[in-house]
Amino acid sequence: MFISLWEFFYGHFFRFWMKWLLRQMTGKCELQRIFDTYVGAQRTHRIENSLTYSKNKVLQKATLVVQSEVDRCVVDIMKEKNINPEKDASFKICMKACLLQISGYKQLYLDVESVRKKPYDSDNLQHEKLLLKLWNLLMPTKKLKARISKQWADIGFQGDDPKTDFRGMGILGLINLVYFSENYTSEAHQILLRSNHPKLGYSYAIVGINLTEMAYSLLKSEALKFHLYNFVPGIPTMEHFHQFYCYLVYEFDKFWFEEKPESIMYFNVYREKFHEKIKGLLLDC
Amino acid sequence: MSDLRITEAFLYMDYLRMSECIQISFAVCRIGIYTCFRALCCKGPPPARPEYDLVCIGLTGSGKTSLLSKLCSESPNSVVSTTGFSIKAVPFQNAILNVKELGGADNIRKYWSRYYQGSQGVIFVLDSASSEDDLETARNELHSALQHPQLCTLPFLILANHQDKPAARSVQEVKKYFELEPLARGKRWILQPCSLDDMDALKDSFSQLINLLEEKDHEAVRM
Repeated sequence: MFISLWEFFYGHFFRFWMKWLLRQMTGKCELQRIFDTYVGAQRTHRIENSLTYSKNKVLQKATLVVQSEVDRCVVDIMKEKNINPEKDASFKICMKACLLQISGYKQLYLDVESVRKKPYDSDNLQHEKLLLKLWNLLMPTKKLKARISKQWADIGFQGDDPKTDFRGMGILGLINLVYFSENYTSEAHQILLRSNHPKLGYSYAIVGINLTEMAYSLLKSEALKFHLYNFVPGIPTMEHFHQFYCYLVYEFDKFWFEEKPESIMYFNVYREKFHEKIKGLLLDC
Repeated sequence: MSDLRITEAFLYMDYLRMSECIQISFAVCRIGIYTCFRALCCKGPPPARPEYDLVCIGLTGSGKTSLLSKLCSESPNSVVSTTGFSIKAVPFQNAILNVKELGGADNIRKYWSRYYQGSQGVIFVLDSASSEDDLETARNELHSALQHPQLCTLPFLILANHQDKPAARSVQEVKKYFELEPLARGKRWILQPCSLDDMDALKDSFSQLINLLEEKDHEAVRM
């Protein structure tokens, strides 16, 4: 209750008068001042806040604009804020770039969520093909004797049928695993080998699915914003999400062997430690 | 120019951090006022809820993580297979249960007995709709747990989960198959059919478990 009171006070009075004062002093609106002062993720993040908390409906809607409407949206914003394109030539380009990043991030989350929501379906041929592809990429020399087999444990699934292991991550877990094995095959083989270590071993596929969950929750909680705003000049895509996943897998393997945990039973403790480390790195952009 | 920067920085102070500070300060004020009120009315500090340490076991995919998440009012939509153990404090009206959930995969089950020490109760979750082979494995695990020296005197809450699936066996079938009447004679156990859709029935069974735990506590005090 008190938070909404503060929100109201901040949004309707305090912010308005501060911005009015600054506009009078500098002759530029808030958006222009941000473009002058900041670059990279800082700039995009502040533009996003400015648009989200704006009282102007055009500005508020700008954060959700689709790619085809971006140019028109920028023109509308310039009209609303009385920005002269001749006096401020770079505004259009900067604003377009920021809007693509902002709405792109939101869209990426929706895309990832829609993939995650699709459970693994044994009746879906695409899903089955993908699962077999994973086996062939990770075990090129061994043939899978049957679709339901104890061999799946060799690549770190828990039971005879991997479909029971994807759970909340759905087909997204499998797509991530295949992406890593396909694009970084030698690293995947190395990590799989290490995961079979007699004392420090872990279940390759299960840990992979855990890391999909980590990547997904970082995307959902907007922790990935700074990284993607800095790293991707335009619209972030699923490719960027997969790349971040690959980074997590590679780094987690290194982290696990450096920490030398007592046994696999302590997995969650070290997973949390790793999670905190990654969150710290992401804030440091 | 630097004054402007300072003003701007003040203006653009991280909104979330600001609202967090406000939240914390209001929470502190509320606690302060409440404590003063209680002191003024000469009431002692409110009695703390008793805490019990439980262990939660069951085969992989039986639904341990999802059930515990839902009891903690968390969404079970993005659960992943539990590797190792995970500790959750599950709050109820009259007690707090510190549940140590152990993963149910083959390679994790061999470590189960290392985590029984210090438990005051056991939650065993089984998938009522699983295959015959899996059900047999679950039966063997339950029997081992019932007979384990560190668990044999403790109250058991046995949850026949996944009741919403068409292939789910009924409570009677589960009781018969798991030989609960003969095997668990003399022990305190509760068999509850449940699913993620019916949290009320689940919470009821936990209330019964808490009663059993309280009884055991009082027994220990009397002794």
